Amino acid sequence: MINYIKHQVEVKITIKEKRVKRRIDRLERYWQMSICKKCYSLIRNKYIWILMLILSVFTGVIAAQEDVSCYHCHPNVVTQFRNNIHYNNGLSCVDCHGGSNTTESGLISSSVMSGNFIGRPTRENITDVCSKCHGQETKDYKTSIHWDMIQKGHTDAATCTDCHGIHDIRAISDPNSSTNHKNSPATCAKCHSNKEMMSAWYYGIKSDTFDTYKESFHWRALDEGYTLVATCADCHENHKTKSTTDPTSSTYPDNLPKTCGKENCHAGVNIDAKVAQGLVHDKESLHTDQFVFNKTAMGPQMNYYFLGPFDLAYWIAIFFKILTTAVIGFFAGMVVLDFFSRIKIKRRF
Amino acid sequence: MSSQRSIEILEPKITGDRNMGETFFKRFTFNQLFQHWVMIGTFMLLVISGMPLKFPDAWWSPVIINLLGGFAMRTYIHHAAGLTMVALGVYHIVFHVFVDKESMLDRKVWPTIKDAKDFWQTIMFYFGKAEEPKYGRYSWKEKFDYWGAFWGMVMLCVTGLVMLFPFKAMEVIPYAYVQLSLIIHTDEALLATLFIFIVHWWNVHYSPEVFPMSKAWLTGNLSEEQMKHEHPLEYEEIMRQMNDTGEKRSSGR
Repeated sequence: MINYIKHQVEVKITIKEKRVKRRIDRLERYWQMSICKKCYSLIRNKYIWILMLILSVFTGVIAAQEDVSCYHCHPNVVTQFRNNIHYNNGLSCVDCHGGSNTTESGLISSSVMSGNFIGRPTRENITDVCSKCHGQETKDYKTSIHWDMIQKGHTDAATCTDCHGIHDIRAISDPNSSTNHKNSPATCAKCHSNKEMMSAWYYGIKSDTFDTYKESFHWRALDEGYTLVATCADCHENHKTKSTTDPTSSTYPDNLPKTCGKENCHAGVNIDAKVAQGLVHDKESLHTDQFVFNKTAMGPQMNYYFLGPFDLAYWIAIFFKILTTAVIGFFAGMVVLDFFSRIKIKRRF
Repeated sequence: MSSQRSIEILEPKITGDRNMGETFFKRFTFNQLFQHWVMIGTFMLLVISGMPLKFPDAWWSPVIINLLGGFAMRTYIHHAAGLTMVALGVYHIVFHVFVDKESMLDRKVWPTIKDAKDFWQTIMFYFGKAEEPKYGRYSWKEKFDYWGAFWGMVMLCVTGLVMLFPFKAMEVIPYAYVQLSLIIHTDEALLATLFIFIVHWWNVHYSPEVFPMSKAWLTGNLSEEQMKHEHPLEYEEIMRQMNDTGEKRSSGR
């Protein structure tokens, strides 16, 4: 009897053991499948701790050798500078701002701001900083109307950093660069769409140049992602930007056929083409419903839109508005009447 | 092609069951049908590839341009279809002025005083004050369609070519006129599109009379019933001519 009970107990125990073992097996299977296992096994390995220690010491040493001392006070600026093409080419803060490159890590170094340290260059002096390496570009820039204006005391005029950025300068080929071909309109519009800035100097500068550019096929194509079109810098030159009244300017009326007929653009433009006889930056709102009899006060380019006292660009648009409304309105009415007359006929029969 | 065309009557087809015993009247020659087909194809392509540029700020503008395969492809399609349409216009003029031997004044397409009367009678008819006018070969609506398309073709082809070769054009005309071409081209295109999609399609597709469509654009033929209903004067003329020439053909087969 007792043997029988013992046997029964053993059987029960083995069943329970089996059940527990099965659970453990299942957990084991899950564990083998889970992603936690990978890290857990790494952390349990003591060599990984040694490797990480070595790595952190190594990165610390490297970081300490760089502009740790500038970063100490100017973290945002230095972070921006890390996106910079100059940083990738091995330049550091010192190359523009002056001072010394030697640092004592962990302390605000007094040596950094010593020597020829210039801090923040004034707007007139930015060209001096850039010309240290970019000689030809600076030379071109100094023929531009922007530089003329700075010389005349209007320091708001564009200098290197306004177009290229200050600390996050990128290569022109970088699509995120403010000087990239497709970003050129937005970059120029920062100042040239600013009405206060444009009127502060004298009344000759228009602030609607970006709006009028948006009417052109160039912009419409660019907006849809087709980048092989002219943007601001292609016609107005990037560094040698000059007034349209300057005979050496690329946008001077006599030079326009040559500018449009660049090799990669509209090649083969006849030098006599009447490109200048009309507004290149044209917009509907530039045209007037007034009858202008005395056109002497008008710009020479505006003149070509007129037939007698009528501004054709305005009156043609009005003509088609009236024509379209009249024709479509009338015939749409006929369609409706036609429809109802058919219903009536059907009822009659 | 000639004035004889209007009395061409196709022999009833013996083989086809559906057409058994029916008389068809030749309305358009294959030449005219083919011109219309080319016109449909190029017009649709031009509208689809052109309208996104007329309304660049609309939400559907980039959608359509992407569906067409990008801006460069859109431009390519528009230029190719446009040049085909210009060729079609030139062909149309050359054919119907120089090749077609029918005298210019005898053409049925010229507007007449009867059209003005018909126009007024149509409006009266719509308000229930008169009978429906009886039309000859072309009703005033069809003549308006034709001359509207003619005017549109002239405007769109000339301005389109000016914008396709702007710097060639600028050797003759000032740049200002290229800008004016843009205004004319897009506004005229919008007018043409609205007219075709609303008015023309109503007349030939949606109108309860012809729904789902008038098959004349595919076969070039009109059935006797359609002929009696839509062009009664022409029908009577044909019947009279047939009697005169002594061809006895029963009309009520």
